[in-house]
This record gives sequence, structure tokens and C-alpha cells, in this order.
Amino acid sequence: MNPVIAVENLRVRLGKREILKGISCRLGESGVGKAIGLLGPNGAGKSTLIQTLLGFHQPSAGSAQILGLDCHRQSMQVKTRIGYMPENDSLIADMTAVAFLRLMGEISGLPAAAALEKAHETLFHVGLGEARYRAVGTYSLGMKQMAKLAQAIIHGPELVILDEPTNGLDPAARQRMLVLIKEMKEQHGMNVLLCSHLLRDVEEVCDEVVILKDGMIVHQSDLAAERQANKRFVQLQVTGDDRNLGAALREIGAEGVSETAGTWRIVLPIEVEVNALWRLTARENLQISKLAYRRDTLEEIFLKAVGHMQPKAEAEVAHGRI
Amino acid sequence: MAVFRRGYERYDGPLTGPVTRFMAIPRFAWGKILSQRFVVVLLVLSLFWPLLCAGFVYVSNHADLLPNLGGMQGPMAKLLEINGKFFAVFMNVQSTFAILLAAIAGPGLVAPDLANNALPLYFARPMSRWTYIGARMMVLFGILSLVTLVPGLFVFGMQASLASTAWLQANWWLGQGLVLGFVLYIAMVSLVALACSAYVKWRVVAGALVLAFFFVLAGAAQMINQILRVEWGSLLNPGFAIYTVWCALLGVEAVEDAPGAWECFAVLMLMLGGLLAVLLRKLRPVEVVS
Repeated sequence: MNPVIAVENLRVRLGKREILKGISCRLGESGVGKAIGLLGPNGAGKSTLIQTLLGFHQPSAGSAQILGLDCHRQSMQVKTRIGYMPENDSLIADMTAVAFLRLMGEISGLPAAAALEKAHETLFHVGLGEARYRAVGTYSLGMKQMAKLAQAIIHGPELVILDEPTNGLDPAARQRMLVLIKEMKEQHGMNVLLCSHLLRDVEEVCDEVVILKDGMIVHQSDLAAERQANKRFVQLQVTGDDRNLGAALREIGAEGVSETAGTWRIVLPIEVEVNALWRLTARENLQISKLAYRRDTLEEIFLKAVGHMQPKAEAEVAHGRI
Repeated sequence: MAVFRRGYERYDGPLTGPVTRFMAIPRFAWGKILSQRFVVVLLVLSLFWPLLCAGFVYVSNHADLLPNLGGMQGPMAKLLEINGKFFAVFMNVQSTFAILLAAIAGPGLVAPDLANNALPLYFARPMSRWTYIGARMMVLFGILSLVTLVPGLFVFGMQASLASTAWLQANWWLGQGLVLGFVLYIAMVSLVALACSAYVKWRVVAGALVLAFFFVLAGAAQMINQILRVEWGSLLNPGFAIYTVWCALLGVEAVEDAPGAWECFAVLMLMLGGLLAVLLRKLRPVEVVS
């Protein structure tokens, strides 16, 4: 499997400060459209990592590769294969959207005729078709975000780096942006590196997630696998005398922790079906009032990873959950 | 199929080479600059002097047709001679138009990219800082060539075609001096315009700064000369320095007791280096705050 992004002991120093402190990871899969979420509190090094991948910063040690190419030494080749949507306003205000996209397309290597055609096509795709001859300076914030996305994908890159794409968008525009990002990976086979503070966006779109803190990776996981694994965590609420339930759960190989009276958090082994809980509670004369898969939200994963939340139970740690 | 009916498809065709990518920026910029009425007016005005010079070249090569001059043997013969002095004067006049054009067109090149934070979009594409500066200089090179190199070579070509082959064999270096002199001048004016544009993001102020660079430094040079009773202060005057270099290239005697061509050339190189350093410092994809 060839990763889209491969970072090996990457250290980046800006001035006297070391921002990235030897991070290593392999993200995405070349040829398969996947979205990777990049999370972290302010000052964690997310932007520096993105900028290093774009070749803006020289690593002080280690290496960063995109699609097998070194981001620093082969930055020109890398840049023909990636698209970048910056967080800040970066559109040239007095240019029309078509002219701006055409210019960006041509700089990316599209022939003039193809660049013009793609400019129109991409602007229609992001919903700016009717406004494509307007100066981008007259656009609303939501339209500007869409125009920034359009310039990032006009040349059909293999990897698109999106820095806070849903910033400042109203709910409808945010949903539209997320749909476009999903389409990019699912229909067009693009890989997406999504940097966002909005955990719900990352959770909705991404397949993998990396959490940075103080220039180090504190968590990296496959969200799809994580969701699958979370199906083994059950939250149970029973009425009746549940003093023996813990021992009964151990009989079927499950582990349970009583949170409050009648409320249990249970970790089921893979081979044990949920039906076994119904039989067990019936045997113990307990009445189930609630049974739900207890799923960790990305917010919980994030807060635990950055150290703002204590791990809930030793058992969970033992089962590979943070 | 109409574009709005077509869905988005990733581009998978061939990519253009570095030269085509490089020229994309000048092509867009030229279109924008030439759509400004003031630029067009200035370009038209700048053609009057070359036309006058072309007329002069014609007359000098057909002096025998003018009865009162008595052919090329008369007292006017010296005045009508096409030599280094003629081209030095020609270049001096045209250079004024070049400065004005640079002051109008230059600030609109880098300032909008900086003011709109658009540099990351350029540098996230296969374009380095050097390529970006080169592409922006190419914009000015093209525009300023229209008022310097192109009319200069036209006048020189006209003289070469009207005069005998012997004239061309004896004076080919005038053409060489004209090209080298103008290229050096365009490089300096372009870098001044780009550096001012990068330093001051406000276009009008940047334009004023371009003019100030030449006039204020000329004034400062004169002050130093007068106060310290020296001549080397003229080195600070970019107009003087470039004129001295032109004179050397065209074989014309420069101002007496003033710094020589090599000194002026060295100062010009230092100026170019300084302007380039300003540009490189300002044109970064991201600002690193210490």
C-alpha cells in the first residue's frame, strides 16, 4: 500500500522554536479516494505541517513525502499533483472568478483552452456558475469559500489540502461544502487532507484522523475501524437487583462497569452477540430499560488525546481505545 | 454539451511545460495593463520621440536632397551625424516614459497579490519565488520594451538600412550598446517598481514611491555633492549612474570629474541586489512571526 502522505521523524523549526517535534505517520492510500482529518488545538502545528507538505518550510530533520515524492526536494513535481485551499481570504478581489480560475489552472499546467473550459466547469460544480463573471471581491463569504475550493480542484489534483473549508459558512453552505468534499473522494477518487476545528465536519467526512498536540502526534486512527470497534461497547440500563451482573457478564467473557445504579457500560468480545445480554439479564431477573451501542464521538477522542479528559475506564484502554 | 449540464471531471490530459506556465502570468497581466486608458495614452505619447528620431535619421541619410545644407560636406553635417551621442539622447528621453509607465503599471503587479494574501495560491502550484519574480519582471520587460528596446532597435535598424554597409560594420556596437543599456535599465526600473509594490501594498503610494526613488535619490546625490564638495555623491543618483553606463556603452564622453562607468555599474548592481533582497523578503508564501 502506497501512502498518500508519508512523514518520517519530521522536525520543523521556525526561528528558534521547534514547531514539529519528530512526527511520523503514513496517511491515506494512493489511488483510493480517502479523507484524512487533521485535528489539534491552536498552536499544535497543523498549519506548519500543511505548509511543510506544500514545500513552504524546509524540515530541519526527517522527511515528508506526498505520493512518494519528497515535499522539499521534489516540490515542483509534488505541486503539480496537489491542490490547496487556504484558510484565509486569498482570492484576487478585482478578478472575475472565471479569469482567476483560468489563471490558476494555467499556472498549474493546464493548457489555455483546457483551463478556460475547466474554470467554467468547476465553477458550475461548486455552485458559482451564475456568478462566474463577477469579481470575486464582490462575493459573500460562502461564495469565496466555494471559489477557493474551485481553484484547488480545477486541475484535478490527486491530493487536495483543505484548511478550514467550512469556516464562516451557514448550515446550508456547510452541508454543501461537505457534500462536495465527499464527492471529491468518493466519485472523483481524490484524497483529501482536511484541517478543521469543527469535529463534526471531520467525523462526517473523514476516514482517518490524526490529532496533533504540541508538535507531536497524540492520536492517529482509522475512523471507520474505530466506528466498527465501537459497536462492541454497549450501554445498558436495567431495573432490579444487578449486584451479580458483573460476575454474570464475566461468564460470557464480557466486562462490565457499573456507572450508576442500574447503568452499566459493557465491553463485548467479538464472538459474543448482543442477544446474549438479553438472555443473561432474563436469567438474573433484570429488566432492560435501555440498551445502546455506546459510541465514542470524535469530540471525546479529541479531548482525551489532547489531555482535557481523563480516560473513562482501564478496560477501554486495554482494548485499544484512548 | 453545455458547460452547465456537464458534471465536474478531473483533468487528466497533458500538462504544459515550465515556460508556458511561466508565461501565463505575463499574458494575464499584459491584458490587464493594456486595458488601462492612461497606459495606452502614455504608450502613444512615447512613440512621438522615436518618430522624430526616425525622421532625423531619414534626413541625415538624405542630406544631399536639402539644397541649403550642401550635402554632407557642409557645416550641418556634424549635427546630422548618427552616432553614439544621438542614441544616448534618444535613450535618455525614452527612459522618462519608461519610468512613468513603470510607476503606473508596476504597482498593480505584486501589490494585489500581497494585499489579497494570494501568494500561497501561487506558491502552492509549481512556481517558486524566483519564477514568480521572473514572471512579474517579464510583464514589465514586455511593456517597457515597447517604449525603449522596440523603438530603439527600429531607429537603429532604419539607420542601418539607410546608411551604407560600411556604417553598420563600423557602428554595430551602437546597437549592442543600445540593447545592453536598455536591458540594464529595464531590469532596474522593473525591480524598483516591483520592490515598491511589494513594500507598499497601496498601489497609488507604490507608484509615487517608484517616482520618488529616482527623484529623491537624485536630489540626495546633488545635496551630498554640494555639501561635501565631492563628485562621488552622483553615484547615489540612479539616473546619472545609468546614463554614465550608457555613455560608456555607446562610446560617448561622459561628465568630466564624475565617477566612471565601472563605478556606476557597480553601484547599479548593488542597487539591483538590494531591490531583489527586498522582493525576496516580502514575497513569501507564509509570514513567519518570530
